[in-house]
Amino acid sequence: MFAFLVARRYLRSNPWQTALLIAGVALGVTAFVFITALIQGLAVRLTDDVTAKSAHVSLEPADRVARVLPGSDYDTESVALVSMLQRKQIRTWAATVALLESQAEVTAISPQITGSAVLVRGEAAAPVAVTASDPKNLDAISPVSREIIVGDARLNANGILIGVRLAETIGLSVGQPVLFRTDRGVDRLLVVEGIFRSGIQSLDERAAYVSLETARPLFLLPSGVTNIEIKLKDTGQARAFANFVSGATGLRATPWQDRNSSLADALTAQGQTGTLIQIFSLISVLIGIASALSLSANRRRSEIGIMRAFGVSRLFIASVFVMQGLLIGIVGASLGCLAGYGLCSWLATFTKPDGALALPIAPAEGGYALVFLLTTAGAVLASVIPARSAARLDALEAIQQ
Amino acid sequence: MTAVLDARGIVMTFRNGDEFTRVLLGVDVTLDPGELVALLGASGSGKSTLLSIVGLLLRPTAGIITIGGERVDTLSDTKSSLFRNKRLGFIFQFHNLLPDFTALENVSFPAAAAGGGITSAIRQRASELLARVGLSDRMNFPAARLSGGQKQRVAIARALMNHPELVLADEPTGSLDRASADQVLALMREINREDGTTFLICTHDEQVASRCTRRITLVDGQFDSGMRNKTN
Repeated sequence: MFAFLVARRYLRSNPWQTALLIAGVALGVTAFVFITALIQGLAVRLTDDVTAKSAHVSLEPADRVARVLPGSDYDTESVALVSMLQRKQIRTWAATVALLESQAEVTAISPQITGSAVLVRGEAAAPVAVTASDPKNLDAISPVSREIIVGDARLNANGILIGVRLAETIGLSVGQPVLFRTDRGVDRLLVVEGIFRSGIQSLDERAAYVSLETARPLFLLPSGVTNIEIKLKDTGQARAFANFVSGATGLRATPWQDRNSSLADALTAQGQTGTLIQIFSLISVLIGIASALSLSANRRRSEIGIMRAFGVSRLFIASVFVMQGLLIGIVGASLGCLAGYGLCSWLATFTKPDGALALPIAPAEGGYALVFLLTTAGAVLASVIPARSAARLDALEAIQQ
Repeated sequence: MTAVLDARGIVMTFRNGDEFTRVLLGVDVTLDPGELVALLGASGSGKSTLLSIVGLLLRPTAGIITIGGERVDTLSDTKSSLFRNKRLGFIFQFHNLLPDFTALENVSFPAAAAGGGITSAIRQRASELLARVGLSDRMNFPAARLSGGQKQRVAIARALMNHPELVLADEPTGSLDRASADQVLALMREINREDGTTFLICTHDEQVASRCTRRITLVDGQFDSGMRNKTN
């Protein structure tokens, strides 16, 4: 295409201006990539921090609501009454677990009894939130074993694992007995098997783990469980999976997002801020292209006049400038993507003493295809104004200047 | 024999606010095929305006223009461009070449821009034209590095690229030294004589006019006289 050749020649004829223009575009694209990778990385880190130690979907008994039963006799209505005095539990948990095990996206299942209790030692007492699970599944939802700092993660019939701050509060250490009093009024002497440090203050102060079999008599649940916790391969599918499993079992299924609405709000706000920064980066790039090409069109007025005189069409002249925009966009966006990836990859090599990234950046999530397309399309759009003004030049006026 | 150019009653009035300036006052001009005509006139007499009107760069206020038997004063902008490209050639005094392109590319440009690129046929034709104007050793020279005389010779080659019926030259030797001007003029005469290409040369140089086959002089927007020179 001859217009392409002319555009390329015009750009090469003024290498410094072209290099500066492309550098400006590349810089804007680099900023876009950096912001995108940072926001994505931050979102992934926050999400991982939340979902790593909690269930992606939690199943609990559905709320009890009296409902009209369907029947053939319309003169009378049948109503299913529910007792608010009845204990809420999942009696058919084994069947639910079997259903969940058949789902490919499920990576871990933990039927649990959760409840409240008080640990009493002498005159000291501390409330705890108890999680009881099969000892084999202790790490299924949260990596408790890895957080043990004293003792081990064995959960035998009399064993209990407590957080480090709780241990400090009531002066407990591994091997010591403690009176465990549940909200059902049942007491039992348990032995501290291990002390963990999760790094989350509320857990280290309030959480305690016992085995499911230990919890059954203590919480008066001889066969049922209070909840089933599920981990998925893809945390992003939690809501869809919750809808599916809720429909399939009749249980109330809560995705992790609903339990962390403030996080979702923060991520949304962060994403919106990032989008604004991205938009301003692109706008500055496009203004740069439009002004540079406008200057070029002005500088080449006499040449455009000559072209028009020997019969080159307005469309051809416009397309020369649009092609320049396209070339600047493609080259600038490509270099910007490369520079952005390089910058993000370099920043991702810096780690904190604990091994975590100093900057939660995700080089692979720089939005490269999006920014490439937006920049290239934007560069073409930005070139339309100078292209139109060049094409509209009066040949005679331009030649006579 | 159909006239190459037949312009009748050309009137051109420019408006500047409330002021109207009449530059051409009903000019009639006819060019036959193979003529080499000098258009003379003092500065401001309207000769460049007439050349621009004949070259379809300016639309006259009134009048009828026929080139090669086709009425052109009513053509749309797009059709005017196409007509200029296919049937007219232009040579200007300044800014004649595209400085970022080689001599060969400059000559090829009118055909390449209309046809989608420099094809081998276009390259062949441009090479032949450059050889004819004595620049076969400068084909791949950037236009910016050519001398003034060489640039005008490239411009002549470019004007001939699409086999025009009429070549319009606006002070083609005005910015050249005497030797270069003579070369350029001799070249135009040679092309006129050998190919029968019609030239309308706008000039104020008596030496240029004296070597044309005919001279016409504009005085205050009207032709003073029309006379046929002796051909040398």
